Amino acid sequence: MLTSLRLSHFRCFESLRLPLEPGMTLFFGDNAQGKTSILEAACVLLRLQSPRTSSLSELVHFGAPGFAVAGDLGDTELRHHYGPRIRKLLVDGEAQASSGPYLRQSGLVVWMASDDLALVRSSAEGRRRYLDFMAAQLHPGYGTALRAYDRALRSRNVLLKRDAVPRWNEIDAYTRLLAEHGKMLTTLRRSLVERLRPHTAEAQRHISGREDEGLDLAYEAASGPGDDLAATLLARREEEVRRRQTVAGPHRDDLILLVQERPAAKFASEGQQRTVALALKLAQSRLFLTEKERAPVLLIDDVFGELDPGRRNALMAAWPKESQKLITTTHLGWLDAACGSPRRLVVSGGRVA
Amino acid sequence: MAQIEYPTPLLQLIAQLKRLPGIGARSAERIGVWLLQRGPEFMDPFAATVQQAGSEVAECSVCGFFRTKDLCLICEGSGREDSLLCVVEQPADILPLERSGGYKGHYHTLRGRISPLDNVGPEDLRIGELSKRVREGIFSEVILALSADVEGEATANYLTEILRDAGGASLRVTRLARGIPVGGGLESADELTLCRALEGRSLMQ
Ligand SMILES: [Zn+2]
Repeated sequence: MLTSLRLSHFRCFESLRLPLEPGMTLFFGDNAQGKTSILEAACVLLRLQSPRTSSLSELVHFGAPGFAVAGDLGDTELRHHYGPRIRKLLVDGEAQASSGPYLRQSGLVVWMASDDLALVRSSAEGRRRYLDFMAAQLHPGYGTALRAYDRALRSRNVLLKRDAVPRWNEIDAYTRLLAEHGKMLTTLRRSLVERLRPHTAEAQRHISGREDEGLDLAYEAASGPGDDLAATLLARREEEVRRRQTVAGPHRDDLILLVQERPAAKFASEGQQRTVALALKLAQSRLFLTEKERAPVLLIDDVFGELDPGRRNALMAAWPKESQKLITTTHLGWLDAACGSPRRLVVSGGRVA
Repeated sequence: MAQIEYPTPLLQLIAQLKRLPGIGARSAERIGVWLLQRGPEFMDPFAATVQQAGSEVAECSVCGFFRTKDLCLICEGSGREDSLLCVVEQPADILPLERSGGYKGHYHTLRGRISPLDNVGPEDLRIGELSKRVREGIFSEVILALSADVEGEATANYLTEILRDAGGASLRVTRLARGIPVGGGLESADELTLCRALEGRSLMQ
């Protein structure tokens, strides 16, 4: 667990030192006062990425050249400095050559937010991000392969758009890279979904309180027969010339969510969909606990205020007891005896009291 | 009242320094002021050295490494293995290979790598010169020693096709082995590194 969190020039915080405790901590306050930024900073410290933006430069406090986040994770001190030209990652004061060794010494994170319903209802992109965020925490090479795939994909798409007659000898130099990294992504995602399935099924039954409400997952790969992306792209060359973009590969994969064997986005009720969104995140935390034998930090943004007591109590009964929970909320009306007496901090105008 | 600025020659010096790689506005100003404070005793030989390097060192038209006037120490040196050619991105990549003592063949510098995102294509690199050298038929093996990132690997893939065309079936095209670093344990290697180390496995002699 995080025993302290320190922010410097991060979003609305010029500077903040925050001692943290195990169990539940509530960050309470009106909107736009900085509650979510505290959770975001914990995520950027532990996983070097934000669930709210893909560009860390957006996190820099207005007018400052860069930001720093630091904190103590058990006995380990983590520090992440970000600036326009430098990124420094330190573990116990020792500079790390790259994100790999830093992340290996860091902790696990599950991010839950009020917009998780989009995981069920919206496009596949959000579901791929859900899998990517999880896979990167379970497999040390996943993040590297994902970044390489993404860069090769962007390069390939530039080449497909650039010339009136595509230069295939250049494009295929990237096709081979896409196939290599893509295979890694597809294989690891597919295996992850298989390991996740029992946990999501269990979580759905538990939160809905209905033994017959099954949630099943299926991984739909878009790399063609045998996941042979190079062969698929070769066969679909005409389509690529027409559309001027890469038409197959893991960037088009999807995670299919089935409630009682039917696609959840179309056939599940709103209540069922809300349960699915929670179940996916709860399952993530159970999977981390099972496979890594470590409890993730749960970062829960603006979820509890909207949750009915039934789902809230079910969630609290099933989340890993050992997990530290940092929770933001705009009101405390929901707080009842089942919650115990969590620590409460008031966040207002970039200050915490 | 006019705002006080540095005299124009100093501003010009700072502007030149800012063009150097890795030097921002503040560093340029610091270095410029520092140079001037050291005075002509330091600056005159410094400037002469820059000028001398500029006029006496040129690019070798064969391998792309640096040479003085007309002599390239690599291309014209004796005792090299004439059947081996190693392709690198930058002249600076040659020295570590030389110092390793593990390679005695010839070199070819591309002066960059293919990167559509930075608008660098094959025509911006010394690839035509490479095909020409290979077509002469002296080399039996070309070793691609490019960086292990996306652009380096895409460039290696692209060159492999070009070299097959230029060198025919008898030319061996190889790349540096990628895998577990010396002294590194398997438990700290990620999946991609392990996959590549497996692909590049070698026979125990
Ligand atoms: Zn030469």
